[in-house]
Amino acid sequence: MSDIDFEALPHRPLTMSLILELEPAPLRHLLKKGLRRGLTTHALRLCLDSDWGFALESEPASELLCALQERRWFMRSLHADLWKTHLGP
Amino acid sequence: MTQIIAVHSFRGGTGKSNLTANLATSLGLNGKRVAVLDTDLASPGIHVLFDFELDENQKCLNDFLQEACPIKECVHEVTPDVMKALKGQIFLLPASLDSDRIARLLREGYQVEKLNDAIFAIADDMNLDFILIDTHPGINEETLLSAAIADHLVMVMRPDSQDYLGTAVAIEVAQRLDVMNIQLVMNKLPNQFSRDEVRLRMQESYEVSIGSILPLSEDLLTLASGGLAVLEYPNHSWTCGVRDLATVLLESSGD
Repeated sequence: MSDIDFEALPHRPLTMSLILELEPAPLRHLLKKGLRRGLTTHALRLCLDSDWGFALESEPASELLCALQERRWFMRSLHADLWKTHLGP
Repeated sequence: MTQIIAVHSFRGGTGKSNLTANLATSLGLNGKRVAVLDTDLASPGIHVLFDFELDENQKCLNDFLQEACPIKECVHEVTPDVMKALKGQIFLLPASLDSDRIARLLREGYQVEKLNDAIFAIADDMNLDFILIDTHPGINEETLLSAAIADHLVMVMRPDSQDYLGTAVAIEVAQRLDVMNIQLVMNKLPNQFSRDEVRLRMQESYEVSIGSILPLSEDLLTLASGGLAVLEYPNHSWTCGVRDLATVLLESSGD
């Protein structure tokens, strides 16, 4: 899973229809799991481990999270231990 | 933990709102605290089944989505009297029927993420057992979000070729979003159709759970959304089918 070209992901606000288009499936799953109440760091760690085979502290995980945060698609809350999918600009 | 149930259909006219209201009532009759959100903002109507009408001072989902109104002010209790002794409660979050407000919502749109946050805010604040989301038919941003955040997706269809095709598309989309616990409901099945044959076709077409097969009913047509069938006709086969679906949802929620 570490051979994904994160730079190739589109640079536009996230929508549900965009989530539907995204590949690979673990990326859709991660963004879906980040809806609802969001993911705690522990839940994110489990998700990365089971769906991506990454440790949270690993380089590919950092690349993934950076790419998503740059696009404002999946961000860490400033107020709580939560990672949340963000829809819209 | 509150269970979120999205009730959806690919096409209009499936009886989705009617099923949503009656399913909510069945859950309430089981002593549950249930909220119903009318997210069919372009063509709202579920409030009619609960005999609820907004007065000019009351707030609705449009006020939350397009104004700064707190979501709690959009919640209205519509618990039928017969349910009160059973400790169940139903709360409705209606949408506006005002044509100008519908037009404004379609013109300006709203941030769908607000809907997500509102659903979980009321789940926590009101200690709800279930939240039912009555969606707009078809596929758009709101319905995709509702399906994605739901613990259960109830897909409603009729025995119609267009419904068979459209439902396949909707289920494919839901599965791509990794939606859990899809329950397929066939509604308005004419008496001359074989239930067993229809069930088999549904199973072969979709490979998802069949939640219920509900008959086309003269009694429901006569009721004409003027009440809740599960209360008006408690022994009707349509009511029994809705009750069975409620039981499936209760059991899969660990109840």
